[in-house]
Amino acid sequence: MNEMIIAAGAAQPAAAAAKGTGKVPVLSVTRASKIYGGVHAIEDVDFDVHAGEVHALVGENGAGKSTLCKAIAGAIQLTSGEIALDGAPAHFERPADALAAGINMVYQETSLVPTMTVAQNLELGNEPLITRFRSLNIQAQQLLQSLNFHVEPTAMVATLGTAKRQMVEIARAVRHKARLIIFDEPTASLTPEEILHFFHLVEDLRARGVAIIYISHALEESLKISDRITVLRDGKLVITAPTKDMTREELVRHMVGRDISRTHYAKHATAAPAASAPPVLREKVLEVENVTMGTAVKNMSFSLYAGEVVGVAGLIGSGRTEIAKVIAGALKRNLINGGMIYLRGKPVRYRVPRQAIDDGIVYITEDRKLDGFFETMAIDDNMYVGKLATKAGRTFLLSGAVRKSLAADLIARLRIAALDSRAKIVELSGGNQQKVVVGKALAQDPSIVIFDEPTRGVDVGAIPEIHGAIRRLADEGKAVMVISSYLPEVLSISDRILVARQGRIVAELDAATADERQIMYAAIH
Amino acid sequence: MVGSTVSVGQHRPARFPRLLVSQEAVILIVAIVLALVFALTLPGFATVGNLLTLARSVSVLGILGLAMALVVIGRGLDLSLIAAMAAGSAAVIQALNAGLPVPVALLIGLAVVLAIGFVNGWVIAFVEVPALFTTLATAFLIFGLTRFVLKTVIVYPPPTATAFLYLGQGRPLGIPMPIIMFAAVAVLVHLFLSRTRAGRFIYARGDNTEAARLTGVDVRRDIIVSYMLAAAIGFLAGIVSSASTASMNMQIINSTLIFDVVLVVVLGGVSLVGGRGSVLSVLVGTLLIGVLLNGLTIMNVNGQVQDIIRGLVLLGAIILDNRLHPRDEETARQGD
Repeated sequence: MNEMIIAAGAAQPAAAAAKGTGKVPVLSVTRASKIYGGVHAIEDVDFDVHAGEVHALVGENGAGKSTLCKAIAGAIQLTSGEIALDGAPAHFERPADALAAGINMVYQETSLVPTMTVAQNLELGNEPLITRFRSLNIQAQQLLQSLNFHVEPTAMVATLGTAKRQMVEIARAVRHKARLIIFDEPTASLTPEEILHFFHLVEDLRARGVAIIYISHALEESLKISDRITVLRDGKLVITAPTKDMTREELVRHMVGRDISRTHYAKHATAAPAASAPPVLREKVLEVENVTMGTAVKNMSFSLYAGEVVGVAGLIGSGRTEIAKVIAGALKRNLINGGMIYLRGKPVRYRVPRQAIDDGIVYITEDRKLDGFFETMAIDDNMYVGKLATKAGRTFLLSGAVRKSLAADLIARLRIAALDSRAKIVELSGGNQQKVVVGKALAQDPSIVIFDEPTRGVDVGAIPEIHGAIRRLADEGKAVMVISSYLPEVLSISDRILVARQGRIVAELDAATADERQIMYAAIH
Repeated sequence: MVGSTVSVGQHRPARFPRLLVSQEAVILIVAIVLALVFALTLPGFATVGNLLTLARSVSVLGILGLAMALVVIGRGLDLSLIAAMAAGSAAVIQALNAGLPVPVALLIGLAVVLAIGFVNGWVIAFVEVPALFTTLATAFLIFGLTRFVLKTVIVYPPPTATAFLYLGQGRPLGIPMPIIMFAAVAVLVHLFLSRTRAGRFIYARGDNTEAARLTGVDVRRDIIVSYMLAAAIGFLAGIVSSASTASMNMQIINSTLIFDVVLVVVLGGVSLVGGRGSVLSVLVGTLLIGVLLNGLTIMNVNGQVQDIIRGLVLLGAIILDNRLHPRDEETARQGD
């Protein structure tokens, strides 16, 4: 492969990158800039990708990865710069133009029609005048089988899980004879098992000579799957280099422009003091006993103790989010579903989150955009609403002074990088948005805090800060439960690890001695 | 709400520039320009008498707009607002005709509209039927019920009920009652939305209902209360309207008035997606429509043409709303 490293700011045409191989890249972007409201989302970025190559694109949130890819896919227009297809200048007015040129973008939020079947979705946009369902389904079946996807062509898309929807999207891209596929955070909502399958698929596409741009937050993944890696920071190109010359530490350094120690993934670097306290001395705050909830949660039992972080690992569909929502009242537990939940020995049964919050139990959502924050509101208003919704914070009239002091306190406690607490929350990076959502929960002065995927879609620099905040909560004597799909995270921040599988807690491990293999073994088998 | 955007100015600019032009400002400027054009070209527009007529004619519309804004900010819609207002007023008038004193009659009317608001809110909050269908259905239901009970289309209050008629025809300090009522309701609704916890929760619910629920807001109770409040404010509009004309025509339920109400609300920037807008939005929306209709009336433009212009203005307002709150929030969501 190409040994050249293009340094940032070097005004070198992207075509030069191809010199090493002597091939013309499938797609190259030269000096690309895009300005939004006077601010450069990307600035003078050179980028290219070859046939049969996986080119990973990494960078913190707001680094310009999505902007660059949207320009390539024709979803937005560059302010300046050129796009070339097979060395010839190309201009994509609309996504359809890019699609016609064989460029497909597989978005995180899938673009399938939920009320149609898999086969109909595969055919979408290419329907003949009269559709014969039989031949449609047979064609779809052949396509899916050739890709080794276990998806029923006649299944309604709405009934499929995220992983299967993604398979359908990829199948559609293959059907469109895609020459370049852009994956935007393809593994964000996949379970480890599904990620493995997805990697095989990418290998397969690469073998077929498809060029692939791979956007991901997960650095290990990018390092594993890609041939070359490009790092963007603040809209500028930092480095493009062959993956084999890169390490995780180097990548992180390039992404954030500073060295981050590995502490947030080193085992118990922060957890040590609390973990040394014998658990018998801790107060049992919450006890879940044989709770059953439809088919999602079956006979789950476990306890939470004050001053302890409990990590919950498990695949998606293992019932881990559901049990958390049951505890916090976000999912109503019907009387016909069995089991008991005891809060400090007293049986509780919440119908709405408000009741749980009144008892000091807060749940921090896994999808902050969907149901975490209020996008029209300022940072401080978001947190103030949290306080107003509690018994202690209940007032008829609003108080600017309370709002200000609350925001100042939480911004300092959670190290939220905001110049102005009156700024709109949507102006913040993903990590800071997550911190505001955490702040909104902490404004409710809880004694039990449940985090669901606390660092999903969070920039690398903010992850250790969120982990630090979680640890401090436990040190303050709160019971903390953290649900995470990312095993290094579970291992590093927990005192105790619960593994859920198919609605049951199947293993309870001491984080000090557990390893990833143990957890995966329990979660899958 | 307006004050908050101003106070930001003293800090360093944020990473992305805020929207410099709010929809309220655009509509206000358009209304002022239009008023100036009318004042210069139309004799009789810029007179005290005409301006009072203008204000009085839009007062009922404005009060209804404030009621509608309360539910629209909370991501709702109340198409039964006119029906509730007509039914409540008719109840008051019938109670007066039955010889009951004015306060008792008003309480009966209030009870009727609160019941309507409760049914709307309950079906929307607990049965989870979309507001559009719920309130459309209750509007028909109310119209049918009032026709069934009243047996006539128009009801008249007894001329002896002077205290009632004063609510629409009185002129304390020379200012017509409808204007006073509009101003009072505007101030109260503004204080409610911007200064109280319940008001903040309406914005939170309109912005993101599930986030509000997870944060501990009693979403269902708040929905019911907001529809009851809207109905009660609509009832005030009905009192002003029926007292000033000394009648209530049930056909008003089938008129296009409800669309005018939606128009003034959306025009000023109370977005139908919820969580956005304020009392100021309703005021500027009402002002623009008032100026426009008054000018057109002076110019002797007929009703059909006025309808066409109203339709165009609504379309323009929706397009403006879309431009200012774009669906593809590329700039707003850079942080993702």
